[in-house]
Amino acid sequence: MNTTRDPLPAGDGRDEAAEQARILQEPQGAETAPADGLAPSHAAAPKPAPEPASEPITVPRVSPHPYATERAVEQAKKEARLGARRETLLYLDGVNKTFDGFKAINNLSLVVQRGEMRAIIGPNGAGKTTMMDIITGKTRPDSGDVFFAGDVDLTKHDEASIASMGIGRKFQKPTVFEGLTVEKNLRLSLAGSRSVFEALLHKRSGEENDRVEEILHTTRMVDKRHRLAADLSHGQKQWLEIGMLLAQDPELLLVDEPVAGMTDAETEETARLLREIAEKHSVVVVEHDMHFVRALGVKVTCLHEGTVLSEGTLDHVSSDPRVIEVYLGR
Amino acid sequence: MIIRYLGARVWILVAALVAAAILVPLANLALPANHPLHVPSYLVPLIGKYVCYAMLALALDLVWGHLGILSLGHGAFFALGGYAMGMYLMRQIGARGVYGNPELPDFMVFLNWQELPWYWYGFDQFWFAALMVMVVPGLLGFVFGYFAFRSRVTGVYLSIITQAMTYALLLAFFRNDMGFGGNNGLTDFKDILGYPIQADTTRAALFAASCIALALAVLCVGAIIRSKLGDLMIAVRDAESRTRFIGWRPEYVKLFAFTLSAVMAGIAGALYVPQVGIINPGEFAPVNSIEIVVWAAVGGRGTLLGPVIGALLVNYGKSVFTGLAPEYWLFVLGGLFVVVTIFLPRGIVGTIDHGWDALKARRRAKNREKGESEGTGNDPNLAASPAE
Amino acid sequence: MIGRSALFKRPTSLAGPPDKPTDRGLAFMIRPMPWLLALLALLFGSLLSAPATAQEPATTASGDPAAIVQKFGGKQSYDETEAVISELAGTGDPAVARPLRALRDGDLYWREGDQAVFIATRDGDEYDLLDPMTGETAGTAPRGEMEKVRVKNSIRNAVTLALGSLTLRSDNPAQRLRAAQTLFSEADPEMIAPLTEAIAAEEDPAVKTAMAEARASAILASDAPEAEKAEEARILAARGDREALAMLSRFADSAQTPEARSAALSAIAQVENNIAFWNQAQNVWYGLSLGSVLLLAAIGLAITFGVMGVINMAHGEMVMLGAYTTFVVQEFIRTNVPGLFEWSLAIALPLAFLVSGLVGLVMERGLIRFLYGRPLETLLATFGVSLILQQAVRTIFGPTNREVGNPDWMSGAFEVGLMQVTWNRLWIIVFAIIVFVALLAVLNKTSLGLQMRAVTQNRRMASAMGIRTPWVDAMTFALGSGIAGIAGVALSQIDNVSPNLGQGYIIDSFMVVVFGGVGNLWGTLVGAMTLGVVNKFLEPFAGAVLGKIVVLVLIILFIQKRPRGLFAQKGRFVDA
Repeated sequence: MNTTRDPLPAGDGRDEAAEQARILQEPQGAETAPADGLAPSHAAAPKPAPEPASEPITVPRVSPHPYATERAVEQAKKEARLGARRETLLYLDGVNKTFDGFKAINNLSLVVQRGEMRAIIGPNGAGKTTMMDIITGKTRPDSGDVFFAGDVDLTKHDEASIASMGIGRKFQKPTVFEGLTVEKNLRLSLAGSRSVFEALLHKRSGEENDRVEEILHTTRMVDKRHRLAADLSHGQKQWLEIGMLLAQDPELLLVDEPVAGMTDAETEETARLLREIAEKHSVVVVEHDMHFVRALGVKVTCLHEGTVLSEGTLDHVSSDPRVIEVYLGR
Repeated sequence: MIIRYLGARVWILVAALVAAAILVPLANLALPANHPLHVPSYLVPLIGKYVCYAMLALALDLVWGHLGILSLGHGAFFALGGYAMGMYLMRQIGARGVYGNPELPDFMVFLNWQELPWYWYGFDQFWFAALMVMVVPGLLGFVFGYFAFRSRVTGVYLSIITQAMTYALLLAFFRNDMGFGGNNGLTDFKDILGYPIQADTTRAALFAASCIALALAVLCVGAIIRSKLGDLMIAVRDAESRTRFIGWRPEYVKLFAFTLSAVMAGIAGALYVPQVGIINPGEFAPVNSIEIVVWAAVGGRGTLLGPVIGALLVNYGKSVFTGLAPEYWLFVLGGLFVVVTIFLPRGIVGTIDHGWDALKARRRAKNREKGESEGTGNDPNLAASPAE
Repeated sequence: MIGRSALFKRPTSLAGPPDKPTDRGLAFMIRPMPWLLALLALLFGSLLSAPATAQEPATTASGDPAAIVQKFGGKQSYDETEAVISELAGTGDPAVARPLRALRDGDLYWREGDQAVFIATRDGDEYDLLDPMTGETAGTAPRGEMEKVRVKNSIRNAVTLALGSLTLRSDNPAQRLRAAQTLFSEADPEMIAPLTEAIAAEEDPAVKTAMAEARASAILASDAPEAEKAEEARILAARGDREALAMLSRFADSAQTPEARSAALSAIAQVENNIAFWNQAQNVWYGLSLGSVLLLAAIGLAITFGVMGVINMAHGEMVMLGAYTTFVVQEFIRTNVPGLFEWSLAIALPLAFLVSGLVGLVMERGLIRFLYGRPLETLLATFGVSLILQQAVRTIFGPTNREVGNPDWMSGAFEVGLMQVTWNRLWIIVFAIIVFVALLAVLNKTSLGLQMRAVTQNRRMASAMGIRTPWVDAMTFALGSGIAGIAGVALSQIDNVSPNLGQGYIIDSFMVVVFGGVGNLWGTLVGAMTLGVVNKFLEPFAGAVLGKIVVLVLIILFIQKRPRGLFAQKGRFVDA
């Protein structure tokens, strides 16, 4: 219904239509879901330490002022609550999201450590994109915890502030600013002030130019810098989008199907690029292409019906009978 | 440096406007009536009116062409600016009205009002009226935009509620007890800043002021669209949600442009009223607002030059047509809407630009074949076709 | 009516001598209720300011109304005429209503030659004569020969009262009811007794209530003891309308004892509650009526905008085309087959559907299909079409309002409680519901509806399954436009048919669809009714224009809270 009403340019409509088509093809809802034994989300995800909220927290009297003491107590409680997730970069626990009775995310728990690169696989409708939506603030979960860098509650922020915190996202369908040149696409993405007035009075700095130059090189777009993004090929748009992610310099990159529609050579090239990026950033990659996932050589999480089905090395996951069942059917 | 920054096109337009601001009044006032270059007095306010419309079209295009916000309510900002100026002109009448009341405008005397409503205070001062010309439309644009953009009302929904906004104002201003003259609006102005409003010299000065205001508006819009903010606006137009995911807040971008655009429309309205001598609620009619859109569309939206040219052309056509066969003007206007959207989606300037760019691209490709290094290239941004 | 009551047996058993002699000498009775007669006599006596002058009629009270009527003949003073009126009333014969009414209307004449009395209507230089009692034609007479029985206002009043008391005893319940209602407004203390009698004899409960109310009003106006008045106040309270309120207020003002005053005040409170209740009901009714108009105007839009996502700014003009189709149909019928006028709307409906649907089809094929996925351009292009259509209609039919008539079944009004219900509004509500249900059925039960839903949900998939999506688009758009045409037929009955008809509805229609939730017919229904009722409830406080502004502002705020409307579709594919 919504595709034709979409106020955005036509492209998005097509994207949604494709997604809907995917939904139509997918096996029907929860009633055909595997029995209880096959919902091991908690077994798969590292369980955080039990919350020590019940224990009384004693804090030495910090100052004669009662408010200071109160704040110290608060701080101590917060430290205690942080507990196990303090070291994590991304922490999802017991997240649920339902769309009109369709459980897109079902008690999902997932932890990504700092500096880690994680691949996420799963059949259509497994909730991969919805999970990304929740992390980036596009969708609010019905329940559950989503924390970034230990103590930032992502459910309380919107897309722009989450992006400013250092979470970058590449969409399934490459979305670049088609009316702008490649270079301007990158410049808009560069980390820095996001104030409207500063944008109005902005002057290009040498540092900025260097950075753009560097990214153009990394993504091999130097000779296309003055081309309109609309005129790029599909694969080039994917790369431009990755370049925009780099320009943002986020702590965590969420990359949704980066090699969809790419040739084998391009795929390999992309894998190389992502590995390079992962040296400095944490990355979560959603991908269908098993060759690509293998080429990444990282820990794999398999989602199914909005929950973690299996987690480990690719070999471990792909030999998991439940995963095989989900992918190949009964 | 600045000249290069804005591009030659902007400067040509500005130069033309400044020239018009000087030459047209000269040709009207200094040349004898039988001189072939003499501009008759009736033409001066007429062209001045077109110039105000051009500024209005430019204001609309700032949000439509560059941000993709199709406002069907820009006539409201224009009319509010016009009313603010009209209120000043009303107070200038003083005791020369039909009822000779030095304090109250005629229509208030007629309605048996005893004292000036509070919102008329201060309008006897030009500086206050001039401030309100910008503040009132700007404030409405800001408040309206704040609510609309914050809750992410986009596309046709936004268009429809902007239309509802101007419709609501239309109904409100028709009411006598609003204190804006009801159905008849504000008229019978006598003088502005102490000069008689009907005099040729005053009209020439108003004309010149309109041209200068338009030139400043062109410079302002040109500077914005060439800045990083201009790129950001294009980005928001093409992929609004993407800008969010790289940390921008498109609602602020829109709010800034929408408010600025409302202020510009208000100024255009304020310059318009003394030249046509009346402002009434009809200016709020939704049809008027949609007409602005067709001016911008004919000229070519998002091209800076286009809306100005479109507004001048369409309104000239309207004047000619309503002189020849008034009953057929609506056919022509309706036809324009259809033809432009189907056959000329880039508008006149956009189509020319597009052809020019294609030509240049071909030449560049040829140059590259010869092994020459690629030049810096022109920024294709201005000529960028709107997202389709 | 007279004819019918004349069929019934005339009262033949005339009573004996009056038990209370009066100067008017009314000595008849129908039923054994002598004191009623006495009171009647008193009544008419009191109506006369002049002392008794005409003794003759009193003595010759033969009881034959036809004979008494003849006494109007000849030169008479007003007092004499009034005496004859009371005599006639005294017969208690419903048949005398005819001459009395003729008298009141100034149609009663007497012939100069023989002083015979006739009901006469002028026909050129002659009068057509009717027998005053039977209403049969009695030939003609030249103008010079006929003399009018002179009347003045006090005579007319006397006639009215006489008719009231007469018809209290009519055999026709409707007539008795009307008599009781007349007497209620008259509030004449003289009528207490006849009313009491009539109540005792009355069997129809509705008439009985009306009589009791009339009696109560009469008692309140009389100098009866206050305790009795307080008692009667309760009956008036139960009636609960403005007239009762006025009477009760008068009673409360004049009441001497605290008991009576408190009884009056509590009765007033009750009446005020009742009036307030019916005011609310009336508001709801007006609101539903406005809502149904909005629904009719918006429901086609709910298809083209809500289901297809096409912004059709020419939608209002589709409505206008429907209204003009009605006009053309009625013109044709008026000049060619006037007998079919009652059917003109029924004939116009399918034609309007076809006309607007066809225009919609042409628009979709010729214009809109090139603009799918570009909603803003669609908006502009269809706005251009709307200008062209408006101007075309203005050129063909002229810029002024055209007269579209209401068939009989669409005109008039009736009352429910204290609420006025006009037939055209009622029919439009019924019609809107029928259209709504029919449209639901088309969407949910027909193959076109199935294909429409399939295409709108997933165009490419539908296309892959062999649905001819362009055809479905065209049909959907034609359906939405055709329904707008049908709405035009209905709106022609309550609105001015002018080239601007459509413009007045387009913004409201969009508001309804957006408010109700796009793509949801039920949302459109609820949206239209809500907006209609809210609008009508705001009107008393804010006035019509301000009320409308408030509604617009509320919708603008509402859209910002819930950009997808009241019945928004939820889901992960709904992109904000």
